[in-house]
Amino acid sequence: MQPELERELIRKCRAGDPRFYEPLVRAYEPAGLRLSIAMMGNAEDAEDALQEAFVKTYDSLHRFDLRKPFGPWFFQILRNQCRDMLRSRKAKFRVESLDERLESRPADPEDGPERARQRNAARELLWAGLERIGDEHREVLVLKELQGFRYAEIAQILEIPEGTVASRLFHARQALQTALEELGVEGP
Amino acid sequence: MSASGPVSDQDLMRYLDGELPPAERARVDVALDESGELREQLETFRSLRAGFHDLTFSPAGSDRSVWDRVAARVFRSSARLFIGIGVGLWLAYAAYELSTGRIDAWTRVTVGGFAIAVLVLFALVIRDRYRTWSDDV
Repeated sequence: MQPELERELIRKCRAGDPRFYEPLVRAYEPAGLRLSIAMMGNAEDAEDALQEAFVKTYDSLHRFDLRKPFGPWFFQILRNQCRDMLRSRKAKFRVESLDERLESRPADPEDGPERARQRNAARELLWAGLERIGDEHREVLVLKELQGFRYAEIAQILEIPEGTVASRLFHARQALQTALEELGVEGP
Repeated sequence: MSASGPVSDQDLMRYLDGELPPAERARVDVALDESGELREQLETFRSLRAGFHDLTFSPAGSDRSVWDRVAARVFRSSARLFIGIGVGLWLAYAAYELSTGRIDAWTRVTVGGFAIAVLVLFALVIRDRYRTWSDDV
């Protein structure tokens, strides 16, 4: 969504018309769901966290600085919501069966069933590895590898300096590598 | 240590993620040429990154939107705000009328009773909300 359009929608929401919030929700929902599923571990808690984050974002729109991009600000609220829910007794990082939780990127039509099985097994292992590392490591990996954010954006979302993003990514990747080795995955 | 200067963990991550400026990148390239250990470490991280390429974190069949649930909440809060303002204005007007004594006793009792009922209702709603919030925390 164009930044100018985003700003216009936010201005209208601030003026008291919630109808203009719908395009923002629909634009940020897919990426928001990816982040919250990766943080919560299951679709049900992820949707609850996402819904709550959208409501909190709406309630805080009057505090939003219109000179800044909306995306990182929203993802910061979502990330805090996920962490609050994980801290509370209501939700723990809980993994569902792979089919309910994840979908793979469209398979190459030339891939045979054996290749598809290998890809599924690799995905299962990667997910199992992500389960074993801490929330802090998992969230920075998700923001980088699955959301494709730049360091500056991750720094804004996690409220840490860019240098800390690089350092945290290093330790997160090391932790994931160790977890995968414990699961029997051989190095490159 | 490389002749081109040490490559920190942060430098290596920035190099891997394409976040280094060209001059810094060239320095890491030199260090990689000189150190097999560094090359191996980078290769491990590259391999990890490749594993993520097969993953998306969307629930299968996730075509339903959370908008309906979000809309119910944000529209409700807007409605509550307008109702709150309306009730507040009405109470202020009633208090003014009662204090100036321009209305008869029966009307005073009726309006006063109604105002008390509204305030009790609000207090009960707030108490209920607080209990729900306490359970959530």
